[in-house]
Amino acid sequence: MTMRRPMLALLLSLAVAAAFAQETPDQQARRLLEDGRGYLAQGKQKQALDNFNIVVSSFPSTDSVGQALLEIGRYHMETEGDKAKARAAFEQVTQQHARSDAAPGAYYYQGLLTLARATTAPEIEDALAQFARVETLYPRSPWVPRSLQASALAHRRAGRYAEATDLNRRVSLEYPASDAAAAAQYEIGRALALSAQPRLAMEEFQQVRNRFPLSAWAEPALERTTALYRLFGGAKPAFSPDPAFSVTAGDVLKDVRALVVAPTGALWIASEKAKSAVPIDRAGKLGAGFSAEDPRALALSPTGDVILASRTAVRFGAKDVRSFTTPPEKPGALPKPVDKILAAAITPGGAVLVSDEDREAILRYDGKGEYLGNFPGARDAAKRKVTRILLDGEGGIVTLDRDEKAVRVWDETGRLLRSVGPVGLKRPVDVAVDAFRNLYVADEEVGVHVFNPQGQLLTTIASPELRRARAVALDASGALLVYDERAQRVLRYR
Amino acid sequence: MPTKTEATARFRTIVAPAAALLLLALRAGAQQAPELPAALQLEVQAAQDALARAVAEFDGAQQSRSIVVFDELIARLEALGPRALTRRGKEILAQAYEYRGRAYYGIGLPEKASDNFRQLVQLRPDHSLSKERVSPKVVELFDSVKRTLVGSIAVSSEPAGAQVTLVSPGGLRTDLGLTDFFPIEVLAGEYAVEVTRSGYRTETRAVSIAAEATETLAVPLVRVLASAFFVVEPTGVEIWVDGELRTTTAGSLSPELYEVARARGLDPARAAARVAIPNLSLGSHAIELRRPCYSGVKRTLETTEPQDYEVDPIRLEDSLGSLKLTSDPPGARILLNGEARGVTPAEIPEICSGKVRVEVKHAAGKFIKDLVLEKDEAVSLDCPIRPTLAFIGVEAASAGGLRHLADADARIQQNLAELRSLNFITAPREAVDRMLEQERLTRQSLVPGSGSDPDLVRKVTDRLASALEVQGFLVAVLPEERLQRTARLHLLAAGNSKAEAVDVTFAEAPAYAPLIKRLDALFASERPWSGLVTVDTLLHDGVPVLRVVPGSPAAQAGLALGDLVLAADGQPVKRTADLLAAVASRKAGDRLVLQVRGAAPGSQPRGVELTLGASAREIPLFDPDLVYNKVMMDLRAVVEGYPGTEAAAYARLNLAICAMHFSDYAGAHDYLQQAKAELPLRPGLSRGTALYYLGVALEKLGYRPQAVEAYRAAAEAKDATLIDNDGPAVAALAARRAGP
Repeated sequence: MTMRRPMLALLLSLAVAAAFAQETPDQQARRLLEDGRGYLAQGKQKQALDNFNIVVSSFPSTDSVGQALLEIGRYHMETEGDKAKARAAFEQVTQQHARSDAAPGAYYYQGLLTLARATTAPEIEDALAQFARVETLYPRSPWVPRSLQASALAHRRAGRYAEATDLNRRVSLEYPASDAAAAAQYEIGRALALSAQPRLAMEEFQQVRNRFPLSAWAEPALERTTALYRLFGGAKPAFSPDPAFSVTAGDVLKDVRALVVAPTGALWIASEKAKSAVPIDRAGKLGAGFSAEDPRALALSPTGDVILASRTAVRFGAKDVRSFTTPPEKPGALPKPVDKILAAAITPGGAVLVSDEDREAILRYDGKGEYLGNFPGARDAAKRKVTRILLDGEGGIVTLDRDEKAVRVWDETGRLLRSVGPVGLKRPVDVAVDAFRNLYVADEEVGVHVFNPQGQLLTTIASPELRRARAVALDASGALLVYDERAQRVLRYR
Repeated sequence: MPTKTEATARFRTIVAPAAALLLLALRAGAQQAPELPAALQLEVQAAQDALARAVAEFDGAQQSRSIVVFDELIARLEALGPRALTRRGKEILAQAYEYRGRAYYGIGLPEKASDNFRQLVQLRPDHSLSKERVSPKVVELFDSVKRTLVGSIAVSSEPAGAQVTLVSPGGLRTDLGLTDFFPIEVLAGEYAVEVTRSGYRTETRAVSIAAEATETLAVPLVRVLASAFFVVEPTGVEIWVDGELRTTTAGSLSPELYEVARARGLDPARAAARVAIPNLSLGSHAIELRRPCYSGVKRTLETTEPQDYEVDPIRLEDSLGSLKLTSDPPGARILLNGEARGVTPAEIPEICSGKVRVEVKHAAGKFIKDLVLEKDEAVSLDCPIRPTLAFIGVEAASAGGLRHLADADARIQQNLAELRSLNFITAPREAVDRMLEQERLTRQSLVPGSGSDPDLVRKVTDRLASALEVQGFLVAVLPEERLQRTARLHLLAAGNSKAEAVDVTFAEAPAYAPLIKRLDALFASERPWSGLVTVDTLLHDGVPVLRVVPGSPAAQAGLALGDLVLAADGQPVKRTADLLAAVASRKAGDRLVLQVRGAAPGSQPRGVELTLGASAREIPLFDPDLVYNKVMMDLRAVVEGYPGTEAAAYARLNLAICAMHFSDYAGAHDYLQQAKAELPLRPGLSRGTALYYLGVALEKLGYRPQAVEAYRAAAEAKDATLIDNDGPAVAALAARRAGP
C-alpha cells in the first residue's frame, strides 16, 4: 500500500510529462502566452509577466516570442510606467522578430512612447514615422487602424487638424469594426471643433453615438455635443442657470479660492475657510479631500489628477505633496524655499510649473523636482503674478495674470500662442478652459466672459443670481460652475 | 492449281485449327455469345467470298478445278455444325453442295454428284434445280435423289393462323409457318408436329412422312385464354392490365365503329384504332388507362370464359391546370419539367396536371420549385430569384483526409441545403474538372494561398458560372489534422478572385448554423430615410434638428434648423437613436408623424407629417460579420436583374467597395467606372461618391494624376456623401486628397 503511492505519482508525472512532451515547443509557448493573457484579464499582472518571460527565455525560436515581448513591453509601459524598459522590449520585437505578428504592434507602441514625450515638431514626426511603418510594412495587419488613429493623434498634437480628420475618417470608414473606429470617429468631431467647425463637429460626435452606441466614446460624445450646442446651436450661446443644481457643503463654501471638475465628475472646491480641498460627487455627496494651509489654486494634471496649490506646497493627487526651492543666489547659501505659491500645474511634457508671488514668476521644475528655470523663460522675463495655471488639453498652458488682467496661452516651450485682455477684462479673478480651447474668464464685476481660441468674445454669462464671480470651472458637458463669493454658493449654468 | 492432297494439307494445317477454335468459341457459352455473331459473320463472309471464287472456277475453263475449292468451303461450313450455321450459311452450304455435285457430274462422276445432291436435300429438302440454269440431266439426277428422301406435309388448324413447328427425333426444330398451308417438302421421317396459337393450348401430333408422300394434318385448337378489345379516345393511351403495361393505343378508328364510339360520347376522329389485349387469364383483371395530361380511368374486367371481350368505348378527360408566375426580377426564363415556356411574368394555361418542376432562371440566379398541379387548378406562384451556389467538391490536404472525403461531401451537402437565400447545388464534377483543366487549374487553385493568378481565377470563375448558370462556388478542404473533424469551406463569388474561408466541424449539424445565419443575412442596400440630422444633448428632452438635407422628406415637410423633435408617431423621442429607430422600422413611402417644437421661444408643439424616402447604403469596407463573396453574389444579382436602374448603379458602387475589401483595386476601378456613369448627380450617395472611391482606387493602383482628377471631380459634387445620405460630405475629403 505505501509503495503504491510513489508509484502512482511517478506514473502520473510520467503521463503528464508524456503529454507535455507530445506538445511541440510552439504549442507549449502558445499555451504559456495564452495563459499569461488570461492572467492579465484577471488582473494578475505578476503571473502574467512571469509567463511572458518564460516564453522569451525558454522558447526563443517559437512564433510566440514576439507576442510575449509585446506584452512585456505593454506591462512596462502601462503598469510600471517604465518607458525605457518598454521601449527596449518593443525594439527587440522590431529588430529580431520583424516578421512576427507582433511586429506591427511593436511599431505602434514605439510610436505611442515617442508621441507621449513629443513636444517639438521633429519628435512628432518621429512618432508619425513609427506609425506609418505599420501600414507600409504590414498593410493587412489589424494594427493598421490603430496606427492610423495614432497618426491622427500626432497630427492633432501638431495642430494639423485637417490631416488628423482625414486619417480618423479613414479608420472610421474603412475599419468600422476595429476597436479604433469609435475613437477615430470621436476624434473627427474633436478635430472639427478645434478647427472652428462646430456644426460639423456636432454631426461627427453624433455619429459616434449612432454608429458606436455601446462604445466608451458614446458618453463623451454626448458631452461634447452638449457643450457645442450650448455655444453654437442657436443664434448665440445660451447659458441659463440650472435651478436643479444645489451644493450644500457648510464651511467648504466659504472663502472658496478655486474650483475644478475632475474627470470623475466630482467638483473639487478649495476653501480657505475649510483649509482644504474637498470633492463633491455628482450626487452632491462630500468625499475625502486634501487638507491644506492656505489653499490657493486647483488644477488637473495631464492624467486627470487633482493638483492643489497651497501657499507652501503643492499636492499632486492624494499622496504626493511637494515643496519647492530655487537655487541660492550666492554660492554656499541655502536653497531658497518657494513659500508663496499662487498656482501650480504639470505640463503635457511632465514639467511642474509653480507660480510664486515672491519672485513674481512661474518657476519650472522637472519631474524629480529639479529647478529648470523660469517659464516662459528667456523669451519673456517679465515679472508677473500668475494666480492660475491650467492646461487647455491641446498642449497649451493657460495662465491668468490678475494684476495685468490678462489670460495668456503658451506652448510647452514658452512660446505665446494667444492672449485675452487686458482689453475687455475689468477684474479677472479666475479662468477655465473647455475641450475646444474656449476660455471662460470670471470677471468679478461682470460675470463670466467666454472667448473663442481666436480671442473673440462669444458671450458674457451674467444673471441676477450671480453677484460676484470668484472661481469658475467647467464640467465635461461644458456647463459652467461659478462660485459666487457674496452669496457663498456655487451656481451652475447649463 | 493446288492438288487435292495439297488442299487437304492446307485444310489440316490452317483451316481445321481455325475452325476448331471457332467451334470452341461457339461452345464456350452464353457469356461469349456477343462475340460469336461477329466471328460467325466473319466466317460466313469468308465463306461467301470462297463461294464466289469457287463459282468463278466452276464457270471457268476447267470446271473440275472448282471441286477443290468447294471441298474447302464445304469442310469449313460443315465444321461449324448445323446448329451454328445461320440461314445464310446454310444457303452458301447448299449452293456449295449443288455446284460440287454439278461439277462431279461434269467430270463424269455421277455417284459423287448424287452424294452431294443427297447432302443438299438433307440440308434443304425444298431445294430445286432450275432447268433453265442447269442441265436437264443434272436436274433429273437431282430430282431422283430428292424423290427418295423427301415427302410433304400440310397442316391446317381451327382456327387458322397457328404456328407449326416440325420437331425431329434429334430435337431439331424447323418452323414450317402458319396454318393453313399447302404441302411443304420435308425430309422423310418420324416427326412431332407442334401447333401453337396465342390464347390456345399447344397441340402436338406425331407424324410419319414417307418419301414422295404427302401427310395432311388437321388440328383443332382449344382456346384457353381470353382477349379484350378496346376503343379509346384519344390516341397514345397506355393500357395497363394488372399493373403491367400491355399496349399503347395508336392509329385511327375504323369507320364501322364510329357509331359505337359516338354512342359512348367519343369523337371518332380523335379515337384510336381498336386494340386487342390477348392472352388474358380467366379471372378478374384491373384495367387502367393512362395518358399524361388526362385523367386516368380504371376498370375491372371479369374474364370468366376464354373468349373475346369487347370493352365499352372509353373517353379520357383532359386533366390540365394553369400557372401564373411572377419573379423578382422579372424577365426570367420559365421551364416547366425542362420545357421552355416563356418569361416572367406569365400566365401559362393547359399544363398537364401532376408533378411539375418549375424552374425560373435568370442571369441573377434562379428559382426552383416542385409542385403537384391538380386538374383545373390555377396556381399563382411568386418566384424570387436567388443566386445559386455550386458546391464543387471536397479536397484533402493530406493523405489522412482522403478517407473522410465522401463523408464530408455528404454532410456538407446535407447541411448547406438549409440555406434560404441561396440555391445550393452540386456542380457536375466532370464539367468543372474539364473547365479547370483547360486553364491548368485545380479546385485547390481557387482557394487562397494557392498562388493562382487572380485574373485567371476571375476569368475561370466567370466562365464556370456562365456554363453552370450559377453565381458562386464552394470548395471544401480537409486540412491536415490528427483527428479529421474540420472542413474549411471556401466561398468564392463568380468574377471574384479571393475566396473567404469558414471552418466547420463537418460532421456536426449545429456547427453549420452560424455560417448559414451569416450567409442568409441580407445586406440591406437601402434604408428608409428622412433627411433629418439631429443631435443628442443634455440640454433638451427631445432632439434638436442640426441639419435638414435639401430636397429630403424632412425639408419637404417644412422641418427647419433648431426645431426640437419630441415624439415620432406618438412615441417619445429622447435621443436620436429613438428617432432613427422609428424611421428604420418603416419603409420608404411610409408616413411618419413627428411632434415638433420650433426654435423660437414660446413655440408650441405641432405635428409634422413626412413621407419617408430611401437612402442607399454603402457596404462597410471591413465588417467581420459579412461574408463579402456572398454579398457580391447578391449585388451581382441586382446588377443582372435590374440593368439600367439606380438600384443596379448602387449595387455596382457596393461591388466596388467589396472589391476594395479584397484589395482588388483594379476590379473596383472597373465597377466604379460604370457606377459613376450611372449614378445620379444629387445630394447624398451619388455620382460624387463613386468619383471619390474611383480616386481612392486609382491612387492605390499608383495612378496619382488620374486619381487627382477623380478627386477634383468628386470635390465638385457639393452635396455628395459617403456611407449613406446622412454621411460625411465627399467634397471636403476629396479636396484634401486631391491636394493643392
